[in-house]
Amino acid sequence: MKLTTTLIVAFSTATLAPAQTTTSGAPGTTAANPSVRHIIGLDTIKRNATGTLTVQNGALEFQTGKAGNKVPVSAIDDIFVGSETTQSGGKTGRVVKTAAMAAPYESGKALTILMRTKVDILTVSYHDPEGALHGAIFALPVGQAAQMRAQLIQAGAHTSPSEKPAGDRSKP
Amino acid sequence: MKSRGILVLIASCSLVAAPAIVSAQTAAKPKISASAIQIAIVETGDVQIPAEFRFAIYERLVERIGASGAFRKVYRTGDRAADGIPDLVTLHTKVEGFQEGSQTKRELTTVLGATRVDVTASVTARDGKVLMDQKLTGRVRFFGENLGVTNDLAKRITKLVSAAF
Repeated sequence: MKLTTTLIVAFSTATLAPAQTTTSGAPGTTAANPSVRHIIGLDTIKRNATGTLTVQNGALEFQTGKAGNKVPVSAIDDIFVGSETTQSGGKTGRVVKTAAMAAPYESGKALTILMRTKVDILTVSYHDPEGALHGAIFALPVGQAAQMRAQLIQAGAHTSPSEKPAGDRSKP
Repeated sequence: MKSRGILVLIASCSLVAAPAIVSAQTAAKPKISASAIQIAIVETGDVQIPAEFRFAIYERLVERIGASGAFRKVYRTGDRAADGIPDLVTLHTKVEGFQEGSQTKRELTTVLGATRVDVTASVTARDGKVLMDQKLTGRVRFFGENLGVTNDLAKRITKLVSAAF
C-alpha cells in the first residue's frame, strides 16, 4: 500500500513538475490561459471564440487557431473585473440543453443546474491609433481576471484610480 | 338581406379609406438625412451597471448600426476621422435603470430571473439639435446569459435609428 502511494506521488511529481516550469515562460511573457472566451470587442476575432490570452512584449494578445489580435498595453485606458454565472459546455452545451427540453416531466431542466459555471469577466477599454474607443470583453476561469489585470498594470496599462475589482455579484 | 347591405357598405368604405391611411402613415415620418453617425459611449449617470454591460452595449451598437446600412460610415467615440464630417450625427445612450437577473432562475422557472436595461436613446446633430429621442428597454426573458440583454437592446436601438434615417 505504502509502495503504491509512493509510486503515485513520485509519478505525479515527475509528470507535473516539467509542465509547471514550462508555463512560467520567458521574461516578458506570462502564462497562457487556454480557456478564455472572447465575448465581444476584438475586430478580427469571432464572438464566443475560445483561445489563449497572454500579456507579452508590451501587448495583450488573444490567440485562437490561426486568428489573433494584439492590443498594445500603452493603448489601454481602463481595465474592469467582474464575474458571472453562466452555462458551461459552449455550443455543445447549448445544443444538449435544448435537446433535453424534450425530456419528460421537465427533467431536462436538471441540466441547467448541473451545467452552470462561474466565470470572471475581464473588460479592457482601449483606443486605436485613430483615437477610437474600443471595449474588449473576455470570460476567464474564476480568479484569473484579477491576475490578468495585475499583469496588465505591471506591464504599464493605465487604469482609473477609482476602479476596484468588483465583488461577487453573480446570481446562480 | 339588410345585414348584407350593411356589410357591403362597410367593405366599400374601408376600401376608400385604406389608401388614405397608408399615405398618412408614409407622409408622417420623413427620413432624416445624414451620411455618418458617431456612437457615443454609454452614459450611466447614477445607475449602477457593471462595466461589461456598458461596453457590450456600445460594441453591439457599433456592430449592428454598421451592418444596418443606414449610414455610409459609423464612427466610434474619440475617432479623429469623424471631426471633418459636416452632417455627422451622434447617438447617445443613457442608462436609466438596470436589473440583473439570473440565467439559472430563468431557465428553471421561465417567469423569474429576467435581466432588463432601460435606456434613453437620442440622436443629436453637430449643433446639438435633438433629432430623435426615445426610451427603450432591453430584456432577456428565457434563454441566454445576462449579457444577452445588450444584444436585444442594440437590436431595438438600431431598428429605431434605421427607421428615422
